[in-house]
Parts: sequence; structure tokens; C-alpha cells
Amino acid sequence: MRIDDIIHIAADAGKIILENGGETYRVEQTITMICTSYGIPLTESFVTPTGIMVSITNKENQTVSLIKRVHIRTVNLNKVSMINNLSRKLVSNPLSMAEIRKEIDYINNLPSYSYNTTTFFSACTAGFFTLIFGGNYKDFFVAFIIGALINCLSIFLDKLDVNSFLKYMLGGALAAFVALLATSLGLVGNMDTIIIGSIMLLVPGIAITNAIRDTIAGDLVSGISRSVEALFIAIAIAAGASIIFKIWVLLFGGNLI
Amino acid sequence: MILNSFYAFVSSLGFGILFNIRGKNLIIASIGGGLGWFAYLLTSNLQPSVSFSLFIASMVVSIYSEIMARIYKNPVTMFVICAIIPLVPGGGMYYATLEAVKGNYEVALSKAFVTLFSAGAIAIGIIFVASISSILKKIKK
Repeated sequence: MRIDDIIHIAADAGKIILENGGETYRVEQTITMICTSYGIPLTESFVTPTGIMVSITNKENQTVSLIKRVHIRTVNLNKVSMINNLSRKLVSNPLSMAEIRKEIDYINNLPSYSYNTTTFFSACTAGFFTLIFGGNYKDFFVAFIIGALINCLSIFLDKLDVNSFLKYMLGGALAAFVALLATSLGLVGNMDTIIIGSIMLLVPGIAITNAIRDTIAGDLVSGISRSVEALFIAIAIAAGASIIFKIWVLLFGGNLI
Repeated sequence: MILNSFYAFVSSLGFGILFNIRGKNLIIASIGGGLGWFAYLLTSNLQPSVSFSLFIASMVVSIYSEIMARIYKNPVTMFVICAIIPLVPGGGMYYATLEAVKGNYEVALSKAFVTLFSAGAIAIGIIFVASISSILKKIKK
């Protein structure tokens, strides 16, 4: 078995986890597990949220290293879980190179939920968050619409490869704008609950949770970079919403309730 | 309270879809969200501190997720991420921004501080449970 093949398989598996919202220590663990199950005695890997570095040494003291840069950052926890289970299965039952390559390609090409499904459920999420925070049924419908709009906006911006700061800023702005519009038309009871409910959709849940989990695991670099990511997303949402507030007050006067 | 927990369940379910969780795991993760919000409401009825309620709720969520991850052989993150979302202090963030836009910087700062404190409480809850579970794993070996 060639050492080159092993390192590429391990790094590809790690890349899938990292791209789809797994923690960095899980990536390191997976890479080590795959290399060990193919009989590599020494594996060192260093993973940050934006790249993977692996170096392995086989029994004949040959050393190979590989760097993978990670650009895509989506969330697909199903893929993370499947790669995780695959690497655990390999420990007891090492597959041949062709077989494992097929498995990894299969997992990587699994489809996500369709746009219609995600739009409907993000609308539901925004609506029900509004109810949690004390909105009435009218607020629910406005938030429902905002949720659907935010999802359409982010799908559209993802296609244009817009950076995440602008994406979240526009999302926050959209939520604030529609809520202000609905309030001025007299459609809602409480504007605050609608905006809070809808921006919950944009809140950086993955970044926060992974920042915490990476920090506990001792990956301080990843912990800090994910915390900064979370902070920036929060600032972007707040900036988007406040710009709309300011413009609205300038144009139409009046006070923010 | 039960109705509110049900709302939290649906919200977590929506997030599960957005994060592409499938099948049985989706339902398990959403139940975690409902459970966490129930724990939050229960503790905030018993005592006034928001941070403490969030701490307890995030501990409940983490314990639930650790147990489910062991039973169904899936990464813990899959359950924690979805279930913790209802607890994230989005409201505090919003009010801090709103006050800052209005020009009430003192109120804005105190709101921002409370938000930061709440986020810290959630983090400590997760850390606490994750550390204990890794100790238990060591002892078992």
C-alpha cells in the first residue's frame, strides 16, 4: 500500500469534516485514526479552521507531508457524522484503497436539503422564535415571511460568492427593514420580538459551539479564530440592523420604540 | 411553559434542517432544544438570575447530547449545536444595538455586558459537562 494514497485519503476525509462544520480536534482525530488503521506508526497533523497540514512516517522511515487549504465553509452535520463513523469502522475493518475512495466520494456528493425545504423551515424557525420571545400570531406571520426572505437572500448571495460579513449584514438589515415596514403599516404588535426572532436565524451557533469545544480540547488557535468569527458575525448583524434604523429615522423621522 | 418548550422544539427542528441533519438524529437534536428551553424556564421561575438559568439549561442540553451521542454513536456536536441555539442571547445583542443607535451608551454597555455574561454562562455549562464526560471516559478505561 502506497504511503501517498494513505495520506491523500486521510486528508480528504479530514477536509470533508472541516468544510461541513466539524470541530478541528475531530479532524485531527480522524486523520490519525485512518493512518493508524493502515499501519502508519507516526502521524502528526495540525488543523486550523482554514487549513490542514499532515505529515506521516511509515515503517521504512519514509516521510510524506501534505497541506490542504480549506475555502468552503458550509454546514452539513450529516456528512460529519458519516465520515466520523467511517473512520471508526476502518479501525476494526480496513477497506481497500479503491473501496474507501468510493465511500468518501459517495459521502462528499450526498445531496443537501432542497432550497424549498430550507426556506420553509427557516421561515418556521423565525416564526416560532418570535412566539418564544412573546410575540402574538400577527408577529408570527411577519417573522415567518422574514425568515423565508433571509434564506432566499443567503442562497442568492452564496451563489455570488459574497463574503460572510456582507451576507450577515444584509441579513440583519433585511430583518430590520421588513419589521419596520410592517410596524409602520400597523401589522404587528411588537417590533422587537420580530427582529429578535428573525436574527436568531443568523446567530453564529456553529462558530460559538465549536469555539468552545475546540478551546476545551486544547486547540487554542482554532478556538480563538472561531471566537473571532462569531464576534464578527454578531457585529455584522448588529451593524446591518442599526444602519437601517438610522436611515429610517432620518427619512421618516419619529422615534424608535 | 410546555407550549414555549414546544416552540423551542420546532425552532431547533428548523435549525436541524438548515444544518442538514437527517432522519432519527434530527428529532433527537430538536428534543434537546425543547428540553433546554424547558430547563431554562423552570430555573428562571425558581430564581432571578438569567446567567444561572442559562448555565443550568446549557448543562442539561450538554448532558442530554452526551448521552444521546453515546447511545446513537454520533458526534456530540451534531446534537449540541442544534439544541443550544434557542439559548443563545440574540435578544440581548439586539437591545444593546438598539440602545447604542438611540445614543444611550450606558444602557447599551450594560446590555452588552449582560449578553456577554450570558454567552459565558452557556460556554461554562458546555465546558463543565464535556470535561466531566471525558474524565468518566478515562475512568471507564
